[in-house]
Amino acid sequence: MKVSFLYGLRLKMTTIFFSILFSISSSLSLSDTVNILGLFPFSGPYADSGKLTDQGARIALEEVNYTINGKKIKYVTRDSETKAGPAARRAQEAIDTEGVKFIIGPWSSGVALAVTEVAKKNKVMYYFSGGTEDISGKKCHKYAFMWAANAWTAMDADLKIFKKANPNAKKIYLFVVDYAFGWTLQKYVESLAPKYGLEVVGVDRHPLGHREYSTFITKAMSKNPDAVYMINFGLDAISAVRQLNNFGFTPKKPVIMSWSSGFEELIQLDPAARENLIVGSNYYYTIDNPDNKKFVEAYKKKFKGVPPGYAGAAGYGLMKMTLLGMQKSGSTEPQKVITALEEHKGKNFVGDFEIRGRNHQTVRPFFVLQTKKKNDMKNEYDMAEVVDVSSTEQPKNINMCEDIGSF
Amino acid sequence: MTFLIISQILNGLGLGMLYALVGVGLTLILGVLNIPNFAHGVLYALGAYFAYTIAKITGSFYFAMFLSPLLVVLVGFILESQGVRRLYHAHHDYQLLFLFACALIIQEIIIIFWGPIGFSLLAPPSLSGAIDLGFLIYPKYRLVLICFAFFMIICLYLFLTKTNLGAILRAGIENRDMVKVLGINVNMVFLYTFGLGAYLAGLAGALSAPIMGLTPSMGLDILPICFVVVVVAGLGSIPGAIIAGILIGLSQGAATIWFPEATNVVIYVMMGLTIIFRPQGLFGVR
Repeated sequence: MKVSFLYGLRLKMTTIFFSILFSISSSLSLSDTVNILGLFPFSGPYADSGKLTDQGARIALEEVNYTINGKKIKYVTRDSETKAGPAARRAQEAIDTEGVKFIIGPWSSGVALAVTEVAKKNKVMYYFSGGTEDISGKKCHKYAFMWAANAWTAMDADLKIFKKANPNAKKIYLFVVDYAFGWTLQKYVESLAPKYGLEVVGVDRHPLGHREYSTFITKAMSKNPDAVYMINFGLDAISAVRQLNNFGFTPKKPVIMSWSSGFEELIQLDPAARENLIVGSNYYYTIDNPDNKKFVEAYKKKFKGVPPGYAGAAGYGLMKMTLLGMQKSGSTEPQKVITALEEHKGKNFVGDFEIRGRNHQTVRPFFVLQTKKKNDMKNEYDMAEVVDVSSTEQPKNINMCEDIGSF
Repeated sequence: MTFLIISQILNGLGLGMLYALVGVGLTLILGVLNIPNFAHGVLYALGAYFAYTIAKITGSFYFAMFLSPLLVVLVGFILESQGVRRLYHAHHDYQLLFLFACALIIQEIIIIFWGPIGFSLLAPPSLSGAIDLGFLIYPKYRLVLICFAFFMIICLYLFLTKTNLGAILRAGIENRDMVKVLGINVNMVFLYTFGLGAYLAGLAGALSAPIMGLTPSMGLDILPICFVVVVVAGLGSIPGAIIAGILIGLSQGAATIWFPEATNVVIYVMMGLTIIFRPQGLFGVR
């Protein structure tokens, strides 16, 4: 009986000792590291983009040797699957089990709107790049930032540069993907077109994932527009461009890809099919500054000489901005990092870069490209040239972020 | 408006002919083997990818169109002889799971070999560009596609109605047990049927490549449309599949004129209406 009592006591003491040791080591290790989550689509329809975005983020981490402010960076990834439910669940799981304090990604607007709520609830900083303007609009909050140019800025740039290149153009016809982001861009194009002397002579909304555009093209051609203005993305846009070329619309008349990934989309088209395209994008690898050249070289080393597109650049840019916030604040606490980034002004690999504190929207260059003819290409990746850059800010009165709130 | 309607009929025909080719292949396999071939979509994708590779290696678009469906037939033979055949006596679920797994595996193989990013396959210069029909400028390749697909459907019809093998295939759809009783090697009938279905899927994939381009997911994109064709046509009805394919293409063209947002939904509306008002399909008997 006595032996058993002593044995039990020793067991309890040992357990308490190891528990204390474990909690000390855990807290020490937590304070020594900063955990960042890369939430990207590694499966599902955007699986190819997920890998590229992740690689971009890793290049930014390699530049600082996975350390910041004397702490080690633990970079963890989760698969968003391009589905709001799984992405939000995995973000929450990473916060709970990995102690994640910063999230970058994912790739789809619909998924981002779910993840931004998780970030807000858990007081975790969230950096997104993509289409939806709601992150810095009606769903804005103190913990979320938008890396891409504002949708209004992008549409204004596309129209301005199209008109500059085609001064006699008067009529445009819109192909619009039928979901919230498409409608938003359509609204902006319809309101901005008269400013540039353009009339929208027809609008066709098509379902997401549509691959056959012959019926839309013949309808558009019956209105004899000076250009088809496409508000669709990825494979939808690629299919439409290819078929517009089949119908002989291009290269006679231009097609505008208003919000494009740039490199990733153009590479899928044959040079003949991509002639006379005007392409609006948040990134193109030929941006002429030393920071971008350094990034492009690092990226090419990893991908056998293939330059980065928007996906890789977005991953790099999101991670760079998160790290910049940490450097500026000298902290890895989300609230201090956020405060340091608000009203940031500086230059980075895409050019001049400012963050508005009132809505956490970036004011930055949006690039408009003109595709090259096959004979003008110096190599297989020399598909387009940046013809203009615009960073005209969205007017305050149409931004839907009324109050970004507090921590 | 009249010109617009005529042009949409032309577009609908072009689309419908492609749907008919893929749909007939699926309905043949379903009718004779009594298996819904979930791998039919990836056979369509393989047709396109084989055509792309052959055209790139040989430089001949026409040779690619000829050879690629035959390579898909080989894949079809392997699937049937090494997999499906072993499951004829198993529960239906096993056949479905096997074919679904094959679809996923083949799609991943496409990604491994050709990469996740899509490609374009250009029609040869003689078929490139558009032709002015007076009321409409229309791509030459699409016009040729309509004529060629129509020719292939006529050939298929003649094969099924005028040859012994065609008669056996049709008999297999009507009554499999009777074919067995007549002493016909049913395994060979099943193999040829699967091969013919694969050929039609591969051919449709190759023909569609210059229009739709190539992406690893193209097989999964076309699969639901194939099943709609089969349901609207009636299970196992070959003429039905041809007419249903064309009807679906035409209805998509019509939807674009009046309700463009519904161009994808309209095919499922057609399927729903068929199930409600004529559950056996437009031409089905069972």
